[in-house]
Amino acid sequence: MSSQATTMKISDLADNTGEWLRGTGPESDIVISSRIRLARNVARFPFLSRANVKQKKELEEIIRDKIKDSDISQDLCYLNLADITPVDRLFLVERHLISREHAGGEGERGVAFGKSETVSLMVNEEDHLRIQVIRSGFELKEAWKTIDEIDNKLEKKLNYAYSSRFGYLTACPTNVGTGMRASVMLHLPALGMTHHIEKVFNAVMKLGLVVRGLYGEGTQVSGDLYQISNQFTLGKSETEIIEIIESVIPRITSYERMARKALVSESREQLEDRVWRSYGMLKVARLISSEEIMHLLSQVRMGVNLGIIKDIEMKTLNELFILTLPGHLQKLEGRELNSTQRNVIRASYVRKRLEK
Amino acid sequence: MKCESCNKKHATVHLTEIVGTVKKERHLCEECAQSINTHLTKIPSPTEILTSLINQVAPEINEMSKIVCPVCGLSYLEFRSHGRLGCAMDYTIFRKGLIPLLEKMHSSTQHVGKVPSRAGKELIKKNELMQLRSELNKAVEKEDYERAAELRDKIYELSGDNDED
Ligand SMILES: [Zn+2]
Ligand SMILES: [Zn+2]
Repeated sequence: MSSQATTMKISDLADNTGEWLRGTGPESDIVISSRIRLARNVARFPFLSRANVKQKKELEEIIRDKIKDSDISQDLCYLNLADITPVDRLFLVERHLISREHAGGEGERGVAFGKSETVSLMVNEEDHLRIQVIRSGFELKEAWKTIDEIDNKLEKKLNYAYSSRFGYLTACPTNVGTGMRASVMLHLPALGMTHHIEKVFNAVMKLGLVVRGLYGEGTQVSGDLYQISNQFTLGKSETEIIEIIESVIPRITSYERMARKALVSESREQLEDRVWRSYGMLKVARLISSEEIMHLLSQVRMGVNLGIIKDIEMKTLNELFILTLPGHLQKLEGRELNSTQRNVIRASYVRKRLEK
Repeated sequence: MKCESCNKKHATVHLTEIVGTVKKERHLCEECAQSINTHLTKIPSPTEILTSLINQVAPEINEMSKIVCPVCGLSYLEFRSHGRLGCAMDYTIFRKGLIPLLEKMHSSTQHVGKVPSRAGKELIKKNELMQLRSELNKAVEKEDYERAAELRDKIYELSGDNDED
């Protein structure tokens, strides 16, 4: 594990994205990514809300060292979040390497992640340790296999707070038990357009699952991107929880495909017009807001999936969802930008990417 | 598309709100979107869900209100208002208040998932100790003091390095 000049490290990341956005894997036309997160705390230390500065520092050191010792991955690098700028932290949030709460937190805290950005380990987030694995496409089982192994390696070095009754003990009782949140990110433009998305929400909620926006907790839905994840963490095993989510995803993806088919057969011209207009806008516009771009990219992405547009790669589109976010644009430009400046740079960046 | 709030500017912000199970779309210009953004209903975060649950299922407030965790100093009332626990011991100290909450939240109060191998060893040790203690009782009943002494030593040995509980 290295901790090189951190700013350099982050700039290196700015012009590309993690492996999970490459648009491959099962059902990747609709399922963007599969993610699993585990919450863990170290025994005999208070949870972070009751830990003093000294204890936080001690925890950060212990966990960072144990991550280093446990040969999770050769190329893990560690960033201390207190040492980097707010723009860098925003960048890491957009990247899904840290959570918003972690970025906005206080005191000694950090993140370790690998080059491929599939694995990230947040130190001193809401819990002492949060392990996360993201994979491209519908691959929850594989994500579980990876994260379970990492957890086993760390558990040999760290004494986790655990009880046989309540499982892994977490700062918030909504995470206790498995400490696991498994989620699948879906692109559902046709269900949104045809107003059938509520039916999906109903079906999902009956199973005790929740729907969220792109950046988790309490975020707005934009770009027709939805995250479906488990609400309960206690009383069911990790595999059972994953199986529940896995059972509902194929129903949603086939529903989305049906809605797309219906749009093609019933209103082909309108659909094609919408897709081409969005594509045109991305290619010519001089000012694009972050909300607008999500909407345009969503339309074009569906157009590519339906074979209406043939000259853009899925990977490019998936990446543009992330690369055009405020933190990324500011990293790319190497300076702070206000919202108008960002809109200009966003538009020119997209034009350049789509010319290639 | 015109902004649905001011009806003048071009709508560039397309928001999707989810209220319960109902999805609502809003098409706004940037300015209007910014000005109403604070009023938008967001998807409730787990913390918000938690706070509303705490208020629903913790009527035994009087009974619990004086309880303070001796380890981290968190009071049950503080937990109720912030929804965050202060240390692992709180699961034991506030158990009475937590059980109905966990039941409501997860429809269960018993973990059935992964067991850390370390905790696994502790469990095995606990079971072994229980076994030895019942053997000891039997030995004493039978007045087999030689066997009892043997068992007692084994118990001391096993529980000596057991710093749990
Ligand atoms: Zn307006
Ligand atoms: Zn406590």
